[in-house]
Amino acid sequence: MSKTIITVDDAVTIRKMVTFTLQPTGHRILEAGDGVQAFEIIQKQPVDLILTDINMPNMDGIELTRQIRTLPAYGRTPIILLTTESEPNKKAQGKEAGASGWIVKPFQQDQLLALVSKVLQN
Amino acid sequence: MNDELQQQLIQDLLIESFEGLEQFDQLLLDLEKGNSDGETLNKIFRVIHTIKGTSGCIGLTKIEKVAHVGENLLSLVRDGELKVSSDRISALLTLSDALREMLTSLEQNGNEGTADYEPLKARLQALQYSEGQESESLQASSEAVGSPSDSKEKSEDSVANEGNEAFGLFDSEPVSPPESEKAIMPSSPPEAAGKERASKASVSESVVRVGVDQLDKLMNLVGELVLARNQILQHTNQIEDTTVVNASQRLNLITTELQERVMKTRMQPVGNIWSKFPRIVRDLASDLGKQVELVMDGQETELDRTIIEAIKDPLTHIIRNAVDHGLEAPEARVVEGKPGKGLLMLRAFHEGGQVNIEITDDGGGIHIERVKQKAIKNGLISSEQAQRMSDREACNLIFSPGFSTAERVTNVSGRGVGMDVVKTNIEKIGGSVDVSTEPGRSTSFKIKIPLTLAIIPALIITSGRERFAIPQVNLVELVRLEGEQVRSGIETIYGAPVYRLRGDLLTLLYLNKELQLESCDADTVASSEVINIVVVQADGRQFGLVVDEVNDTEEIVVKPLGKQLKGLSFFAGATIMGDGRVALILDVLGLAQHAHVVSETRDAGLLEEEEMRANTSDLDDKQTLLLFNNGESSRLAIPLDMVARLEEIGKDKVERTGGQEVVQYRGQIMPLIRVSDYLSSSAGVDEASNDPLQVVVYSEHGRSVGLVVGAINDIVEETLTVRREVAQNGLLGSAVIQDRVTDLLDIKGIVNSADPSFYKDVVNA
Repeated sequence: MSKTIITVDDAVTIRKMVTFTLQPTGHRILEAGDGVQAFEIIQKQPVDLILTDINMPNMDGIELTRQIRTLPAYGRTPIILLTTESEPNKKAQGKEAGASGWIVKPFQQDQLLALVSKVLQN
Repeated sequence: MNDELQQQLIQDLLIESFEGLEQFDQLLLDLEKGNSDGETLNKIFRVIHTIKGTSGCIGLTKIEKVAHVGENLLSLVRDGELKVSSDRISALLTLSDALREMLTSLEQNGNEGTADYEPLKARLQALQYSEGQESESLQASSEAVGSPSDSKEKSEDSVANEGNEAFGLFDSEPVSPPESEKAIMPSSPPEAAGKERASKASVSESVVRVGVDQLDKLMNLVGELVLARNQILQHTNQIEDTTVVNASQRLNLITTELQERVMKTRMQPVGNIWSKFPRIVRDLASDLGKQVELVMDGQETELDRTIIEAIKDPLTHIIRNAVDHGLEAPEARVVEGKPGKGLLMLRAFHEGGQVNIEITDDGGGIHIERVKQKAIKNGLISSEQAQRMSDREACNLIFSPGFSTAERVTNVSGRGVGMDVVKTNIEKIGGSVDVSTEPGRSTSFKIKIPLTLAIIPALIITSGRERFAIPQVNLVELVRLEGEQVRSGIETIYGAPVYRLRGDLLTLLYLNKELQLESCDADTVASSEVINIVVVQADGRQFGLVVDEVNDTEEIVVKPLGKQLKGLSFFAGATIMGDGRVALILDVLGLAQHAHVVSETRDAGLLEEEEMRANTSDLDDKQTLLLFNNGESSRLAIPLDMVARLEEIGKDKVERTGGQEVVQYRGQIMPLIRVSDYLSSSAGVDEASNDPLQVVVYSEHGRSVGLVVGAINDIVEETLTVRREVAQNGLLGSAVIQDRVTDLLDIKGIVNSADPSFYKDVVNA
């Protein structure tokens, strides 16, 4: 069954890459350039999975996660953080904020596919 | 990942990264200056962070690794563990150059290049330790981000790593919401999905990136539409049907608006190119040991992107020059009573349909005497010319080909192009540049440029039954000669037709002759009832184009000439007229150069300076001379720069006062001196038999005297070698000019003996 996934990243290239990777799976992909945009979008239309970068202008991924968890409808929606090696402490912060999982940038396309299907199957 | 996708992602990465790095440089400079807020460091960090992350994902490991080392350093600075020092800023700027280099190589060659960035990486790593930092905090910082060597290893690992640690879930709890909650939050039905996907872009972005070539094509199409509109408008004059007339009026309005809108899309703020200047100024100033504050105003002023591109180099050159030669070293400034830090101001603003850019420095100004000396040395002007030159004219000598202001050759000013090329490049796009200076205080460059080049206002004229367009920027005025003026208005000096326009001689070019058009014999022009002179300006000098007819002004769409016709210097392009026929756009400068109306050596500045010197050294003592006679046997010459004007004065205008012949001339009483009275050799020749009298006007400090001569013959440029000293009143000597012995008239001597008070009064005044 088709799900709606939102990819949140200030880098267009990463958003495109996520979109291109996941589009063949038949899911609907939305894009947002920062946390504020993402937060607006997910309140207008229900989303089944959030893939978010951490370091973004306006609202970062950690804060976005925190905000999303305050919405009753998104209490348990999976949120995956795109982390980097250079910021291991962010992973812990993300977990605390309520994120469900992580994927380290740079990632391989099949890694992303595996993680997404695992999360959506549960 | 397939190739096409990879290519597309690389394109995105390039755009994103170049933009990011530009911002990065700017932010770093702000940081150094101290105008930063809490977000500045975050933004700086994010640029490198994004480049690292993105390049890693696309498999550009070299870029990723270099960016990674920078990111480590930046994260320490951002977290306040390291101070912002100018060493670190310099290293980070070098990092941004290195990244740009790799990205450029990627763009041009499809790979990241072969340059070795290990030294840079080592430098960035070394800067992660602050001097005197306690070992404890050092440890803390290495814990937070990993020690440099660790992180490097890790990053290399991460590139190759495909292990399970690359992703995962925080705990084994089901991450997906249970069925009951799913009901509250249903995913959208599949049929809606397709629709939503189509609108995806508008949800996430309100800005669309459009390729420049798309905009160029759009502009072309709008150009075509403007032409079609012009055609229709021409025909609606003859149509009675109000429906058609109304529709064509609406078409007219809509086309104009569309044209404006499309032009707007091509507009870019001039700040786009200015953003590079703080960096250039900073690097330059630190190389030269100077302190410079760059103030920019009006960055948001918009210009067509093709023009922005065209002025980038000239602007950069002027700015480099200002820092290098304009602003003094701090010590010298303090001696002058100025703050040690020099001020460089960049200002842009719209005025009268043009964009003005001013570059002002508060440096030592241009040393006008030195400029004159140099120009004389380089054979650009004679010393007489130098004396009579206004300060402003002298200043503008720096734009002459072969003139270099550099007293010493620095690696900054380099040996490359001179200010003349700056001027040529600005004029190429229909702009102008002017320099003014206040000695010891400031120098100011003022550049005026048109908003766009694609559609320009032009004057349509006819010559030899063909129509031509003259760009409005070249136009000065239109002169129409009728009746008597047709026969007497145009005179000939040295075989060249001239017209007296409000007291100045205006060289005339017959367009049909220059272009060798059919009805080109001068007789038809001479015998016609009216003469139309289009006064145009090129290279700061005016001349008159004689045309058959002046038609109209029109907005024309500039179309480039085909390859085969590109070599013609007469034409700047072509356009299509309202009736569908093609008209060529005249290149006024090219025309003037061809006809030798303006200096031909405009491009000579591109030559090596030595070559220029070699070429001009023999011009050093060349003088322009006015040749005239006093009766057939004599031949006389005076330097042209001593001649204020040449006049013909009717005999009936001559009056007498105190035994002296005088005429009323420009509101003054001008004494007349008959040259023959002072020359024994030509005694007895009665130049007074001429009517009108041929008068050479000589002026000194606002006083004029008229020298009555027999006939004016010629103007020549000669190297003057006085061959025979003559002990005769009224003559300086003789020289061979154009193979004939010619006497040099001693104007000052003659004037002095005719009116001894002439020079005395000058001195007293």
